[in-house]
Amino acid sequence: MNRTQAKTPRPRIRTRRVFETIFWYIVLCVIAVVTVFPFVWVITTSLKGPQDSVAAIPLQLLPQHPTFANYVRVWNQLPVGNFFINSIVVAVATVVLNLLFTSLAAYPFAKMNFRGRDAIFYLLLATFIVPPQLTYIPSFILAVNVFHYYDSIIALIFPSLATVFNIFLLRQAFKAVPNDLIDAGRIDGASELRIWWSILMPLVKPSLATVAIITFVNQWNDFFWPSLMLHTRERMTLQVGLVALQGMFASDTRGVAAGVVMTVIPILILFVTLQRQFVRGLTGAVKG
Amino acid sequence: MGKKFMFTPYLFLTPALLVIGVFVLYPIVAVIYYSFTDYSIVTPPIWTGLKNYQQLIHDTVFWQALAHSFIYLLVTPVLIFLCIILAIIVNRKLPGINAFRALYYIPVISGSIAVGISWKLMLDTNGLLNGLLLSLGWIKEPIQWLAEPAYTLPIAMLLTTWMGLGYYMMIFLAGLQNISEDLYDAAVIDGCNAWQKHWHVSVPGLRPQITFVAVISSLAALEVFNEIYILTGGLGGILNSGVTMVFYLWQQAFKYHHAGMASAIAMVLLIITLAFSIANIRLLESGTETES
Repeated sequence: MNRTQAKTPRPRIRTRRVFETIFWYIVLCVIAVVTVFPFVWVITTSLKGPQDSVAAIPLQLLPQHPTFANYVRVWNQLPVGNFFINSIVVAVATVVLNLLFTSLAAYPFAKMNFRGRDAIFYLLLATFIVPPQLTYIPSFILAVNVFHYYDSIIALIFPSLATVFNIFLLRQAFKAVPNDLIDAGRIDGASELRIWWSILMPLVKPSLATVAIITFVNQWNDFFWPSLMLHTRERMTLQVGLVALQGMFASDTRGVAAGVVMTVIPILILFVTLQRQFVRGLTGAVKG
Repeated sequence: MGKKFMFTPYLFLTPALLVIGVFVLYPIVAVIYYSFTDYSIVTPPIWTGLKNYQQLIHDTVFWQALAHSFIYLLVTPVLIFLCIILAIIVNRKLPGINAFRALYYIPVISGSIAVGISWKLMLDTNGLLNGLLLSLGWIKEPIQWLAEPAYTLPIAMLLTTWMGLGYYMMIFLAGLQNISEDLYDAAVIDGCNAWQKHWHVSVPGLRPQITFVAVISSLAALEVFNEIYILTGGLGGILNSGVTMVFYLWQQAFKYHHAGMASAIAMVLLIITLAFSIANIRLLESGTETES
């Protein structure tokens, strides 16, 4: 008797579970359509042939005469290859040098006692709320009058060599390293530089990876400052080049769409391969 | 040896501090000075005292920009609300849930230029949105989404919100995963239904994340530029309908070469961001005190 009573509700719970699961998948799919649809539409537009409509009337979502001709046209009329190379050089150089500079600075903030440590640290933290656009006015004047790197990609790398946010994140990572390890290094007679490079850096590799990704994506997608600095086509990064392309191909929706796809694909590939580090980088940033 | 140890920390700091000094600290001081000068970048600055600020007070575009920037702050509560719900939705163990989270994250990493241009193509008078609405019969005439002044700011705000969804969702998701299951069980025993459970457990548990998102997203809203630049083609919209503080700063500094005036705008912006960040943190932290 008891057994049958216990058994009867089971199928009901199971069907309820199935319905719940289906419900959640529908919700998830609807949201996915909202977040991804513009990209799908841009990709299909970029593949449309001259006979396919890109206008409101007649409305056509999928290309009936798919072609890569739009990509070829954009590639031939603009130095897209240069845009790619410039973007990659800027992003990679920034990541490598920024990580070097900020991890050097993070070490004393995390593990050394010295005069003015807290004062300097809080001064740096306070600059976090300064709108970057404010700093671009004097930075622009410096670029033209002092550093003479106007219209060169050096102008994008140089000011990004150290960022307060990255110092802050790496300081958190170094703080988690046990002091015993550092003391052991000091007893063995290792220099502070040696301790930093051979003991601390290998231990915070995951944090370095996330900081690298955040820095790379920020630099890759940056527009305001690059648009102020870069004017010669061949020296542009992808973002600045894409805006130039949009102006040049104003009446060519298919060409602009092809340009958008070319700009987004590299960062999407990076995201798919390093998805876990992306997410960890975010959560780490908030805990800090 | 003791002396050498004193110097080491500063040696480690020097490269980073030099860069930040030149590109962040010096500019703050320089902008304060420039804001009291007439400075066209080409010729040296001339001290004019409070003239720039006096001009700003009588500048209708400046007041428009200020108003638009404050309206733009509406994206913050909207993002907090939507992203907490999104985080609750994706915080369940279903096969393939990571793929969905990744899909929601795509707009975040694609960059505001590519995303803005995609939206611009869709919102074109002869574009996809009008095509859909016409074929559904919801409208008879195509709507000039990008030329109608009343739509400029709402569309830009929608774009900012859409691009931020995945980012802030991930932050709240990380927060939710730190909340103990016991608290939810206790809420269920106390008779909470599914949504009450989230209101009484998730929302208080997410307080640190809410503070973080409120500060970060309101700073981003006050500093918005790329969305406006792309959607209005660098013009700021008809009748300045899309001109925000940073857009006006950009126009003054880099289009008209009024570096002095732009610096005065930058100072106002700095004071607002400062006041806003302090208010945000105070407000949200005082909330925790009264509750605990």
